[in-house]
Amino acid sequence: MSPALKRTALVTGAASGVGALAARRLAAAAWDVVAVDVDADGLAATTLRSPNSHVRACDPGDAEAIQGVLADVGPVHRVVHAASLAPAARALDQPVEEVEAVLRTTFVGAVHLVQGTLPGMLERGSGEIVLFSSLAAFAPEPRGSAFAAAAAAVGAYAAALAAEYAGQGVRFRCACPPFGGDADDHRLILDAVDRSLARPEGDLHVFPGRTPGGRWRLPGTSAPR
Amino acid sequence: MIQGERVELPVRIRDAAVASAMYAVPAATAQAVIAYSGLDVAEPLPGRAICSLAFIRYADGDLGPYHEFAVAFLVRPPGTAPPAGALGRLRGMAGAGAFIHWLPVNQEFTLECGRTIWGFPKELADMPMDLSGRTKRCAVRFGGRTAIELHVRSGAPVPGGAGAPKVDAYSCLDGVTRRTPWTLTPSGVRMRAGGAKLVLGDHPVAEELRSLGLDRARALSCSTVRHLEMTFEAAEEVPR
Repeated sequence: MSPALKRTALVTGAASGVGALAARRLAAAAWDVVAVDVDADGLAATTLRSPNSHVRACDPGDAEAIQGVLADVGPVHRVVHAASLAPAARALDQPVEEVEAVLRTTFVGAVHLVQGTLPGMLERGSGEIVLFSSLAAFAPEPRGSAFAAAAAAVGAYAAALAAEYAGQGVRFRCACPPFGGDADDHRLILDAVDRSLARPEGDLHVFPGRTPGGRWRLPGTSAPR
Repeated sequence: MIQGERVELPVRIRDAAVASAMYAVPAATAQAVIAYSGLDVAEPLPGRAICSLAFIRYADGDLGPYHEFAVAFLVRPPGTAPPAGALGRLRGMAGAGAFIHWLPVNQEFTLECGRTIWGFPKELADMPMDLSGRTKRCAVRFGGRTAIELHVRSGAPVPGGAGAPKVDAYSCLDGVTRRTPWTLTPSGVRMRAGGAKLVLGDHPVAEELRSLGLDRARALSCSTVRHLEMTFEAAEEVPR
């Protein structure tokens, strides 16, 4: 690929699960991939024998660390924020520090990435920001209140961004996979994100589209495809 | 050792996705195309050989993440006589191997592995690919010029357990023909009759496919695989 066509994707949560698969697929498609996660060993496994992947072991909730990453990598054309924390605890048993940590990585991490990359995207008039929320934002799992709240915050933030910066060439997507999904769930949600990004006016919310008949249809959104 | 890294055999692919189309082509022309290998095309019907075009996204595997396009022909195992009769021809398909005629990839590590370990005819290309929609698409481009573009429409789900778990892949690089034992474990398979669209550009392999009539042929069948695991064992040389 010629340098002019070089595209950079920044993927968080890239050490495992859906973030790792997103990073690998983008690397296969010859994107320059910046893989971010706190788990350095997991990042090494994700980027094995992938010369166009670069690893940065840090937490997206850490403002300074993310600023450092963005200062190094230059223009980012796609952000995939799949990092999240979901420690299981009943609401009254969960220390507030743990709730704050969940919000910091999952939601504040999204804010850091957007504030760091969106201005450049708006300037270029193009870009893609994919923020991972969860079906748990709409139907919380037992012992998952903090994660459900953080996922809902990501969803609301994505909706606000899409409204505030509409029509300026940047596509926003809020991916809502099932909570605790398996490898096939990861493949399905990423396929759904790709299909959605291929349609300029695609919906903000992206659902996995596994069940026919719109089981996960939400008020104000179209049925999963 | 490839690019300073030790590659253990068998090489394992833990997650790939595939779309492919099969065509019936004139056996004599196909035989001429692969004559350099010393192998013989299989003829499931008198005078007809099978050409298979496929594109693959390797997400998780020992060779790293990359895209690949394959042009392959079904061949008789070396040293076996052509089967006799209609039933024999069909039975012969069970033992048929896949001769890999052309195998462009878009990453250098797998390029070197493929050529060095198995003698696969890999070369470097730009390969935009979309496997997310109902129609899967891939183009093979060199310096911005499209050599081949294939569109594959997905069909109806095929129950698990279908497909060939063990195949021999054949290759011929620099005059050496090799056989590579290859296992495939697919899931999320869909198939249909027809359903492929092929665009041939300006490239020697595209010319060969044109000579086989593929620029206007209807595919016998198309298949898509959402998740494929594979292993590739060491290659052994096939005596000429």
